[in-house]
Amino acid sequence: MAKIGVFICHCGENIGAKIDCNKLAATVGEHPGVAVSVEYKYFCSDPGQESVKKAIRDNNLTGVVVAACSPRMHEATFRKACAEAGLNPYMCEIANIREQCSWVHTDVDMATQKAADITRSMVEKVKRNNKLQPIEVPVTRRALVIGGGIAGIQAALDIANAGQEVVLVEREPSLGGHMAQLSETFPTLDCSQCIMTPRMVEAAQHPKIRLLTYAEIVHVDGYIGNFKVKVKMKARYVDMDSCTGCGDCITKCPQKKIESEFDCSIGMRTAIYTPFAQSVPNKPVIDKANCTYFKNGKCKICMRSCQINAINFDMQDEFIDLEVGAIVVATGFQVQNNAVYGEYGYGKYPDVITGLQFERLASASGPTSGKILRPSDGKEPETIVFIQCAGSRDPSKGVRYCSKICCMYTAKHAMLYAHKVHDGKSHVFYMDIRAAGKGYDEFTRRAIEEDEASYVRGRVSKVWQKMNKLMVRGVDTLLGKPVVIAADMVVLATAMVSQPDAKEFAKTIGIGYDEYGFFNEAHLKLRPVESSTAGIFLAGACQSPKDIPDSVAQASASASKVLALFSKQKLEREPVVASNNESTCAGCWGCVLACPYNAIEKKDILDRSGKVIKRVASVNPGLCQGCGTCVTFCRSNSLDLAGFTEKQIFAEVMGL
Amino acid sequence: MTIQETYKTRAKELLSSGRVKMVVGYKAGSTPDRRRPHFIRTPEEADRLILDSACIANLSGYLITEGLLSDEKSVGIFLKPDGVRSLNILAAESQLNIEQIVVLGFDVNNNEITALKGEKAEDFSTLIESLKEHVPQTPGNPLLERIEAMNAKERFAFWEAEFSRCIKCYACRQACPMCYCRRCIVDCNQPQWVNTSSHTLGNFEWNIVRAFHLSGRCVGCGNCDRACPVNIPLRLINAKMAHEVLGAFDHFAGMSQTQEPVLASFKKDDSETFIL
Ligand SMILES: Cc1cc2nc3c(=O)[nH]c(=O)nc-3n(C[C@H](O)[C@H](O)[C@H](O)COP(=O)(O)OP(=O)(O)OC[C@H]3O[C@@H](n4cnc5c(N)ncnc54)[C@H](O)[C@@H]3O)c2cc1C
Ligand code: SF4
Ligand code: SF4
Ligand code: SF4
Ligand code: SF4
Repeated sequence: MAKIGVFICHCGENIGAKIDCNKLAATVGEHPGVAVSVEYKYFCSDPGQESVKKAIRDNNLTGVVVAACSPRMHEATFRKACAEAGLNPYMCEIANIREQCSWVHTDVDMATQKAADITRSMVEKVKRNNKLQPIEVPVTRRALVIGGGIAGIQAALDIANAGQEVVLVEREPSLGGHMAQLSETFPTLDCSQCIMTPRMVEAAQHPKIRLLTYAEIVHVDGYIGNFKVKVKMKARYVDMDSCTGCGDCITKCPQKKIESEFDCSIGMRTAIYTPFAQSVPNKPVIDKANCTYFKNGKCKICMRSCQINAINFDMQDEFIDLEVGAIVVATGFQVQNNAVYGEYGYGKYPDVITGLQFERLASASGPTSGKILRPSDGKEPETIVFIQCAGSRDPSKGVRYCSKICCMYTAKHAMLYAHKVHDGKSHVFYMDIRAAGKGYDEFTRRAIEEDEASYVRGRVSKVWQKMNKLMVRGVDTLLGKPVVIAADMVVLATAMVSQPDAKEFAKTIGIGYDEYGFFNEAHLKLRPVESSTAGIFLAGACQSPKDIPDSVAQASASASKVLALFSKQKLEREPVVASNNESTCAGCWGCVLACPYNAIEKKDILDRSGKVIKRVASVNPGLCQGCGTCVTFCRSNSLDLAGFTEKQIFAEVMGL
Repeated sequence: MTIQETYKTRAKELLSSGRVKMVVGYKAGSTPDRRRPHFIRTPEEADRLILDSACIANLSGYLITEGLLSDEKSVGIFLKPDGVRSLNILAAESQLNIEQIVVLGFDVNNNEITALKGEKAEDFSTLIESLKEHVPQTPGNPLLERIEAMNAKERFAFWEAEFSRCIKCYACRQACPMCYCRRCIVDCNQPQWVNTSSHTLGNFEWNIVRAFHLSGRCVGCGNCDRACPVNIPLRLINAKMAHEVLGAFDHFAGMSQTQEPVLASFKKDDSETFIL
C-alpha cells in the first residue's frame, strides 16, 4: 500500500498569496494513498526539512511529494532530506505549484484547484516510482591535454605534479604556442622565452607526462572517466628516438626561403626545420609541401647529411589509441587576418605589421635579433603609429568583442620601442584604454608618462604611402580635429580570434562553441572552466581572449577539476538513464542514430552455440544522459527512461 | 513472349540454378480479379505464377518472415517500384540483408503491365529518383483533393467519421511491410497508451499513432487500405505525411538502403535550435 506524504510549501508569499495552502492540503489529503498532507511556510528551511524527515519516519512513508517551487531549485534538497530519513531519494518528487501556478495566476480559487491537480498528478507518479540506485562508473586516471601553449603546459604540469598521468598533444612540431613567440610580457616585462622555455622542458621531461607533438586528435568517444581518443601522429620523416637535434640537416637544406610561421613571415626557414631554436622537442620535421624531394622526387640532401641516419622519407602517419578519464582543451587562439582592413594597407605596405610580428621583431631570438627594423628596408623606424582595436569592437568588419589584451600589449610595444630606440616617437590610436588587472593600469600609465608614448583617442581612417613614409590619417576625438602622422612603421593591434578549425574541432570532441568559435563553458559565472560535456574542461584563450595570467589561472583551475575527478575510484551518476526491452526491440537502430550522445550500441543475442539469433539495441548507462530522445523515437515502445517511465508519465497524465 | 512467360522462365532459372531458394510472386486469388502471394520453391511450382495488372499488392513484407533469410540464402521477389522502395527501407532499418534479395521488377500503370530492368534494389535507384522528382504537386486523387480543400474543423469531422468505423482488427498493420515490430505499441498494456476498444478516441489514437510511425516510411503501396475491412482510406493519411516530410526535410521514403530514417537523423550543424 502506498503511503505518500504531501508537503505543501507557502514559499512565503510566493505561493501562499495565490494558493489557499490549507484548502490544498485538505483536498490532496483525501486523495487515495496520501497518508500525510501538510503545509508549512518554508519547507526548504532547516525546520521544514526536519518536519519532512520526521513525517517519513513516523508514518513509514513510501513516497514524498513536495508541492513547492521548480525541481531545479530544490529537488536535490528534498531528495537528500528523504535519503537522510531512510527513504530512497528517487521516491521524492516535486510538484511545481509556484512557477507553473501561483506566479502565473491571479484567481485564488482557480489557482488552488490547479495546484491540487498538479499535486495529485505527482502523487500518482510517485506511486509508480522505483527505488533507483546511483550508477557507478570506473574512472581512468589519465588526463589528455590538447594544446601545448602556456595553458596546456600549465594544466599538464599541475596534474602530473599531483602524481597523475597526462598525455599532452600539440599539433605543431614544438610546444610553446603563442607565448613562445612573444618578446617581453606585460605587466612585468620579463622575457617570455626565459619564463616559457623552462616550463616546456619540464613538461617534456616529466615522468608522468607523455608528450605527443606534431599530433592531432582524430576522434573522441566515450564519456566522463572513460574517454577513448584516437590521435594521429603526423609523419615527421625524422626518427624521434635516434635524432640528436644536432641541426646538420637544417643547415644543408637547399630550401631556405620558406616563410617561417613562427616568425610570422618576417623570418625564413628551411623545409626540414624546427620552428625556433629552443623548440621542445628540439627535433626537426620535414615540411612535405615545401620539400624538394617531395616536390620533384630528387634531393634527400638532409638524409645524406645526417650522421646517424635519422631521416626516413618513407615514414607514414601513425594512429595511437588512448584511454583517458578527463580532457583539458587548451587549443588557444589565432590573430585575425588584417587583410580585411584595406584602408590600413596591411599586406600592401610591408611596414604595416601586426602586433605579433612586432613581438618577433622585438624578440632577442627573432629574425632581427631584437632590433626594431622596418621589414621593407631594414632601417630603424623613427616614428611608429600603433592602431588599437584593429578588428576588435568592430561589428562591421572585425569582431564585436574586446580582445582584452591589445591595450596592454600596445603599451608594452610602445615601451619596448622606447627602450630600444631612444629617440623614437610612438603614437597610439585608441578607443578606450582597458587596463583592468593587477599592475595593469600602472603599466599603461608608465608607457604614457615615462616612455612618452603619445596617446590619441580616435580611429584611423586611412594609411597610405608617400615617399618613404606611411601617412596615417585619423581623428583626435578629444580635440575634435583630424590628424595626419607621417610614420615609418604602423603596428596593428589585431583582434584575438578563435582557431580557424575551432568549430570543427569542437564537434570532433563534442563540446559547444559560441558564434565566434570560442568554446562554451557550462556556466559563465559558476562553472567557467567546465565545458558542457562532463569530464571535458577548458583552459586558456580557446574559451575567450585571455592574457597569460588568466590562461595560467584557468589551466590550474582545470587541473584541480581533473584531480578532483581522479580523487575517486568510481564516479556516481544520476540513475536517470534509458534501458531497452530486448524481447520487444525490433532492431531497427533508429534509436542508435537518434541518440545525441552515441549512448546506444547494437548488441547480438546469441544462442548456446554462439549463433546470432537477434540483434537489439543496448543502452550504455555510462554514456546515456537521460534526455529521452530514444524513448520518443522507438516505435515498439521498447525503450524506457528510469525516473520517467512510461508508466509514471501515463499515471501523471491520467492523474490530471 | 508475354511478360508473364518471360518472368516465369526467369523464376524457373533462378530456382533451378540454385541462385535463389524461393521466389515470392503472385498466383490466382479467390475471385478472378484477385491475386494472392505464391511462395515458389521448385521450378514446377512456378507454372502457377501469374503476372498481370491485378498484381498490385506489395509483397516485400513477406521477406521479413521470421527465419526466412537467416540461412543467408537468396530469395527472389516480384516488386513494383513501391515494393523496391519498401525493400530499401527494410534494409536501411536493418530488417534484412539486401544482398540476399533478387528483385523481379515490374510496374502497373493504367492496367498496363511493364517489365523493369534490374535485379538488385540499387538497379532501380534512377527510377526511384525520377519518382521523387515527379511527385505531383497536387494530390491527383479526387478524395484527397476534397480533404485538402477542407478547413481544419471539417477535416477533423471527416476523419472522425472515417475512424468511427474502425473495428481495431489491425489488418492494416498486418498488411503493411513497414509494420514489422514484434510488439506493436497497441499490444502494450503497461501502460495502455492506446485504448483497445473501438470508440472514437481510441480509434483516433490508433490511426494517428500509426500515421506517425509511418511518416517518412510509407511508400504508398496501398496494402493497408486494401486490407481494411471497413474501407477507411488509410493511404491518404500516410500520403499526406509523406508529402509533409518531403517538403520539410526533402525526404522521399525508400531512396536507398542507406537512407537514414527521417525522424531519427539529425545534422549537428542544423540551424534548427530545437533539435537539442
Ligand atoms: C601580440 C600579442 C602579444 C601578447 N603579449 C602578452 C603579454 O605581454 N602578456 C600576457 O600576459 N599575454 C600576452 N599575450 C597573450 C598570450 O599570448 C596568450 O594569453 C597566451 O598565449 C594564451 O595561451 P594558450 O595556451 O591559451 O594559447 P596558445 O598560446 O595559442 O597555445 C595553444 C596551443 O595549442 C595548439 N593547438 C591548437 N589547436 C590544436 C589542436 N586541435 N590539437 C593540438 N594542439 C592544438 C597550438 O598549436 C598552440 O601551441 C599576447 C598576445 C598577442 C597576440
Ligand atoms: S528504436 Fe526501438 S525497436 Fe528500434 S532498435 Fe531502438 S529499441 Fe529497438
Ligand atoms: S535517453 Fe537520450 S542519451 Fe539516453 S540513450 Fe536515449 S537518446 Fe541516448
Ligand atoms: S502505410 Fe499502407 S500504403 Fe504505406 S507502406 Fe504501409 S501498407 Fe503501404
Ligand atoms: S484495418 Fe481498418 S478497421 Fe482494421 S484496424 Fe486498420 S483501420 Fe481499423
